[in-house]
Amino acid sequence: MATFHPREWRYARREFLQRGAAGAFALSSMGTLLAACGGGGNGEFKPPELLLARPDNPVTHPLFDDNPLIASGLEPESGTLRIYNWNGYLWPRAMKNFGKEYGVKVELTTFSTMDEAIAKISSGAVDFDVFFPTPDRMSRLVVGKLLQPLNHDYLPNLAKTVWPSVQDPFYDKGSRYTVPYTIYTTGIGYRADKVTTTPDKLSNPYDIYWDESLKGKMFLLDDGREAPVHMLFRNGITDVNTENPDHLELAKNELKSLIDAVNVKLSTDDYSHVPEGRAWVHQMWSGSAVSAPSYLPEGTGTEVLGYWFPSDGRGSIGNDTIAIPRAAKNPVLAHYFLNYLLDEKHGYDNFANYVGYQPPFVTLDPDRLVTDEIVPANLKSAVVRESDFDTGYFQLELTPEGQTLWQVAWAEFKAGG
Amino acid sequence: MAKPERRLGGRRREALWAALALPGIVWLALFFVVPFYVILGVAFGTVDPTFQTPRPTWNPLDWNTQAFDFVIDGLVSRGGVFRHVFLRTLVYVAISVVLSLAIAYPVAYFVARFGGRWKGLLLLGLIAPFFISYLMRMLAWINLLQDDGWVNDVLLWIGILDAPRNWLDGRASSVILGMVYGYVPFMILPLYAFLDRIDRSLLDAARDLGASPLQAFRLVTLPLSVPAILAGCVIIALPMFGDYYTPDLLSGSPKTSLVGNQINLYIRGGQQIPVGAALVIVLMLLLAFLLAYYVFATARAQRRLSG
Repeated sequence: MATFHPREWRYARREFLQRGAAGAFALSSMGTLLAACGGGGNGEFKPPELLLARPDNPVTHPLFDDNPLIASGLEPESGTLRIYNWNGYLWPRAMKNFGKEYGVKVELTTFSTMDEAIAKISSGAVDFDVFFPTPDRMSRLVVGKLLQPLNHDYLPNLAKTVWPSVQDPFYDKGSRYTVPYTIYTTGIGYRADKVTTTPDKLSNPYDIYWDESLKGKMFLLDDGREAPVHMLFRNGITDVNTENPDHLELAKNELKSLIDAVNVKLSTDDYSHVPEGRAWVHQMWSGSAVSAPSYLPEGTGTEVLGYWFPSDGRGSIGNDTIAIPRAAKNPVLAHYFLNYLLDEKHGYDNFANYVGYQPPFVTLDPDRLVTDEIVPANLKSAVVRESDFDTGYFQLELTPEGQTLWQVAWAEFKAGG
Repeated sequence: MAKPERRLGGRRREALWAALALPGIVWLALFFVVPFYVILGVAFGTVDPTFQTPRPTWNPLDWNTQAFDFVIDGLVSRGGVFRHVFLRTLVYVAISVVLSLAIAYPVAYFVARFGGRWKGLLLLGLIAPFFISYLMRMLAWINLLQDDGWVNDVLLWIGILDAPRNWLDGRASSVILGMVYGYVPFMILPLYAFLDRIDRSLLDAARDLGASPLQAFRLVTLPLSVPAILAGCVIIALPMFGDYYTPDLLSGSPKTSLVGNQINLYIRGGQQIPVGAALVIVLMLLLAFLLAYYVFATARAQRRLSG
């Protein structure tokens, strides 16, 4: 599934430029990618069984003899710590400070889609120490033995700072391979001063997407999972990982009906389109809502911004993780870095100064963030609460057939038939 | 044109000329034939279910035509998904090419005929904005076209519009405008190069024989510039067919998405990378068809001119 991701938010445009330039080489780089995966033949390959985690079907990922965790009590290596992350998803100062504290160099490499990142790591041509995967690829990463199991002796902050439910998440029971990084919801962002009605005033909040007064100013996220999921929600379907063709057909038809109703547009610039007035309603990631105030034109108050997420927490939720690739050259140092980001102060600084997507820390509640003036009071709903983790609906790993089903529906909508 | 004189040792010389083509052949093989075969392999191959990376099939006997069937079905079946996108792309490119020609021809003509000693400077001035990357210029258009942007300001000031228009609401005209603006210099340059070389004495002769300036243009200059017009059209049409960022930036609406957007969607990830590769090949076949027409048409134009 070609997914964009909230992480693209801050530098979406800059990243877009790079991608555009890279587009020219896309075909040739595809060649290298192919060469790297060894030019497989046909048929004889039997895929390993994927363990598709669901909240009601938690998964404890297997450990493998040939992929052991590192011993406890080792000194951190002195080599360069190599980080592989989304663009604009880590505070540069956090990397610098960590480097200073441990006397090492820290180097960042970025990717623009999870599939691109996995392709690169699975090629074996790279040896990153720290990687930021999404739970919807977890099983593939584990059975493909791309990640190494974590030694919790190095990660005391996990138990100290993180919400208990996320310390032992259903997609990776016991946090065997990952620790949580950020958590976000997907709701509806809007310009309160432009819209005629707001989602919370509608009996079905998702109906706002069809509000004809928004013609040309209504955006959905350009993401093949997020956008169809809100179509399902509108129709009371909460299984956001459905592989039922009827559901996908329904979502597709709902999406297509938006073309005529409001000439729906697609973007991942929710964080700037709404404050700059290009969009009046934009399906939005909560982290984008948190950063939106800084994109308001001068003289416009933050009260024009709104973010709706179901108050009962029954909406779309997602989180990101940090992991250590199996091929890491500096695994001990990498553990130290994970623990560093889980530190209450460092994690908070990283969020408040730069990333905008909050870490699931016990100490971060909506009231505190409003008091700290990180989030204006009218955007309080963009702060994720621990209870949301239990009530929200996670977009998770699908079977290959399910992925194709979603992608075909999405591609057909995007073709604008 | 006189044939080059054959001298003794000509055969060895011929071998030398042939050898000089070698770097070009190697280049083509390395950067066209091999990558093209890779795309074929991907289009007829499978995808690794774990890592979702393409697993190309190199042996044509083992080719899996599933992706192609999917693309062909989307093209030929009634209401097929890809049919709309291909048609839309064709229409957008055709309109953009015609508009580009309408802009580029007078400009190139003016510079070639009346530029005088300012020719160099005029050309430089025309091309200067294009030192900036294509994407930056498209991003600049977003600012110009937005509700309170300069385009609306100017149109309101002149009185063409009563209220600001939302040019970025996902309309085709904005996408076409972007494409024309983005590619027009590549039309101007070949036209200029050709028009500049037209022998003035031919025009003088036409005038001497009683043709009005308009007739001279219609009967002499225009027919002479047909090959340049065709070359310019081909040069800008080829990249336009693969464009996906102009509609993304200036519209974002599914109503204006092009073949490039579908290719991008499928190639970026997931289980259907072969579909993306198959779309690439179908698009290439279409372009090859257009190029064949171009070769045929220029040959015909040349024959007519020399005949």
